[in-house]
Amino acid sequence: MATAVTESVFQDTPLVVGGRTFRSRLLVGTGKYKDNAVMVRALEASGAEVVTVAVRRISLDRTKEEGILYHLDPGRFFLLANTAGCYTAEDAVRYARLAREAGFNQFVKLEVIGDQKTLLPDVAGLLEAARTLVKEGCKVMAYTNDDLVTALRLEDAGCVAVMPLASPIGSGLGLLNPYSIRTIKARLTVPVIVDAGVGTASDACVTMEQGVDGLLMNTAIAEAADAVAMAHAMRLATEAGRAAFLAGRMPRREVAVPSSPTAGMLA
Amino acid sequence: MIAPLPRLHAVTDDRTVAAGGIVERAAALAVAAGPELAVHVRTRALGGAALLDLARAVGAALAPHGGWLVVNDRADVARAAGARALQLGRGALDVQAARRVVPGMPVGRSVHDEASARAARAEGADYLVAGPLFATASHPGTAAAGPALVRRAAATGLPVIAIGGLTPERAGAALEAGAWGVAAVRALWDEADPGAAARAFLAALPAAATLPVVVNGESRVVPAGTTLRGLLEQLDLDPRAVVVEHNRRIVRRDALETARLAAGDAVELVHFVGGG
Repeated sequence: MATAVTESVFQDTPLVVGGRTFRSRLLVGTGKYKDNAVMVRALEASGAEVVTVAVRRISLDRTKEEGILYHLDPGRFFLLANTAGCYTAEDAVRYARLAREAGFNQFVKLEVIGDQKTLLPDVAGLLEAARTLVKEGCKVMAYTNDDLVTALRLEDAGCVAVMPLASPIGSGLGLLNPYSIRTIKARLTVPVIVDAGVGTASDACVTMEQGVDGLLMNTAIAEAADAVAMAHAMRLATEAGRAAFLAGRMPRREVAVPSSPTAGMLA
Repeated sequence: MIAPLPRLHAVTDDRTVAAGGIVERAAALAVAAGPELAVHVRTRALGGAALLDLARAVGAALAPHGGWLVVNDRADVARAAGARALQLGRGALDVQAARRVVPGMPVGRSVHDEASARAARAEGADYLVAGPLFATASHPGTAAAGPALVRRAAATGLPVIAIGGLTPERAGAALEAGAWGVAAVRALWDEADPGAAARAFLAALPAAATLPVVVNGESRVVPAGTTLRGLLEQLDLDPRAVVVEHNRRIVRRDALETARLAAGDAVELVHFVGGG
């Protein structure tokens, strides 16, 4: 599939997280798709290498086969297990350990949710779980609020990436606080990957223009009327936002400045 | 590991409750049978307050010995008394409604034929009390179903407690048919020495051929000696596609072969699904 930016003009460094190198800065979730065939085509269209998965009980009546690995090739995608749905540090650690035992990698997307209505993180529980898992050798990518101090503490705790939200999970509200995201990016050494809240391609573009290292999304693609087409749009928008950031934007002015020469006008 | 369902159930009825001395007799049974004993507080003759008083007193008598207080039908009383299980008889709440009152508490269903056993399984019951196996003075006029009822109830995969005319002499037949344990009214409460009666029952219970376990939150029985590897095979699950947690500890794939299930074990089988 043709992309709007060509390799020759757009020279970017790869995304490196916890010692792993990725070419795509777009990370994609695998939940809520209409069906598995659409999911697989959307993942391909997104160009993502990292895809998130959740840990759940296997269905004991063998009538339905809902395991994601029947549809996803773990040799092709990097499986990032999450701890979605966990409301305590203890639960999140339990899920992370189960995920690690599956044997794909040591990475976990750590979520400790603090509120059912907003799904905003419980940052105290998050820090506690992060410290425990880092000690056990996990490479923790922490889903967190757009709060600088929490982000700094997560970095201190040894997280390999900090993932502040653009807006609440599944809300599609886009980037609500670009200032906070820029501040976090400016102060952290580990990669900053914005996770949750983008609704459409312009949101992805604006988010990447803040200079963050990557972007993780699920609902914006899965709930689009055409998920595969939206995945393609998100790929372009992520690349466009990244390219624009690297290019360096012009300053904002309160007055107009003509683009054409003022000299040489007819008398 | 959660405490396994007891194998000897002493069930009260209106008559035994009216006769009095339930708490003292429950204490004697508890000393004799320890954690193998469940006492069912079952009577429609008492109002909520009196029933709760009785349930609390029985619970206090059982607790030091590990026995289970089981309250029948009244989910509210079961919760208030801190019962270990709720038993639902004919005309009682359905299992799902009861769970809203007693979340996390094991819920048993009383069944009397194959259809009610299947319905109980579909409702989500954790174990079955199946009867009457033999003619009983508690239910005069009800036809005895015989050990075949236990076989049909056990086919649901749930642990089965046999009830109805059970004596130590008849316990073996119930277990042979697939019961995990037995329940009795008169053969325990009416004996001059309830402790001796309990010991006689326990002596008559051979090692169970099956064990009650909880897999992914669902109660089921497995043959004694089943390994985790064997459990996965029974469930037709590929060990490479599942992560196994046994009593809250993760079991590595190469240890599945040697890890054996015990009564009351909790197993979680998880895998990856779509997520964000």
